[in-house]
Amino acid sequence: MRKIISIAKIIWSMRNWSFKYIKWRLTTAYPGGWKYAMLHPLELLKDLKKYILWCDSYYKDIKRKDA
Amino acid sequence: MLKVKIKNIEFNSPIIAASGTFGYGDEFGGFVDLKKIGCIITKSITLEPRIGNKSSRIHESDSGMINSIGLANVGVEKFCSTKIPSLNKIDSKYIISIAGRTIDEYTSVLKNIEKFDGKHVGYEINVSCPNVKHGGMEFGVDKDMTFELTSKLRSITNKLLIIKLSPNVTKIEDIAKSCELAGADAVSAVNTFQGLAVDYKTGKMILSTTYGGVSGKAIKPLALAKIHKIYSNVNIPILGMGGISSFQDVIEFLRVGSTMVQVGTLNYLSPVILSSFYNDLRSFLSKNNISNIASLTGRYIEN
Repeated sequence: MRKIISIAKIIWSMRNWSFKYIKWRLTTAYPGGWKYAMLHPLELLKDLKKYILWCDSYYKDIKRKDA
Repeated sequence: MLKVKIKNIEFNSPIIAASGTFGYGDEFGGFVDLKKIGCIITKSITLEPRIGNKSSRIHESDSGMINSIGLANVGVEKFCSTKIPSLNKIDSKYIISIAGRTIDEYTSVLKNIEKFDGKHVGYEINVSCPNVKHGGMEFGVDKDMTFELTSKLRSITNKLLIIKLSPNVTKIEDIAKSCELAGADAVSAVNTFQGLAVDYKTGKMILSTTYGGVSGKAIKPLALAKIHKIYSNVNIPILGMGGISSFQDVIEFLRVGSTMVQVGTLNYLSPVILSSFYNDLRSFLSKNNISNIASLTGRYIEN
């Protein structure tokens, strides 16, 4: 349950990301940026899932340190 | 309270958004309070545009990240015509990062930028990118080449000149000393450590270039040791970096000798975390009756 709430929070926090910022993130991740991402949707989804799980684990570590 | 000074430049806070993790600065406007960030360092700019390495080029590992982006950037011409005007409008100071394959390439990029009316306060020279086939790190691992490059660039600009050092060397303090002798105003330490990721089931290398640069929490103790070594051997300011994930980490980096700190991987986690450090640092200083954060630099106790 903790994980589901945490992942939901991570996804919710992305709502403020501007189009320009998302475009930059895709340019950083892929050669060709958003065009590459559109042509490889499965790779994009796989990477997005990996990224969200990574955020969850990283946040957990940071919180552990604060505690 | 949080103001720090390098050469004649005063920064609002000791926190810097590291190169390659904050785009060209303008991508973050509107949802990040840039006034709370001391400075932004742009993506490294090269003479020609670069698309970077093939996918996959970012791998999120357990304790950080391995990247092999390969200096993807728009090239100096487009940077000057389209990015500098928008960077001039952001609510923070900015530094331009430069990379190249030869000394001539570095100097050409710098000369091109100097012709434009940029409000940038300085340059960070990337001599330590481990993810490109030629150049970059070849300079950063050789103290004579670092000296030659720094001297050439010093003769072209009076703005802040910061050399970004590679940790993938035996004696980082020797390279830092070369930078100091050649006239650099500061050094950034450290860039990413060389690393690799492999799929345990298939045996396939995860990054397209096999090797990449490791950043994030995993490298923090390694980075602190490198910074301490530099601080013990040179007198120019150090912009410390390597796995900073909290305001406590910022203070640790200052204590071992950093004048300012750079935060990188954390910006991939959330673009707004960086500005939150500003308030955390202020309340830490107030609670501990510290009037100026600059007084923490090099304040450690030997056992």
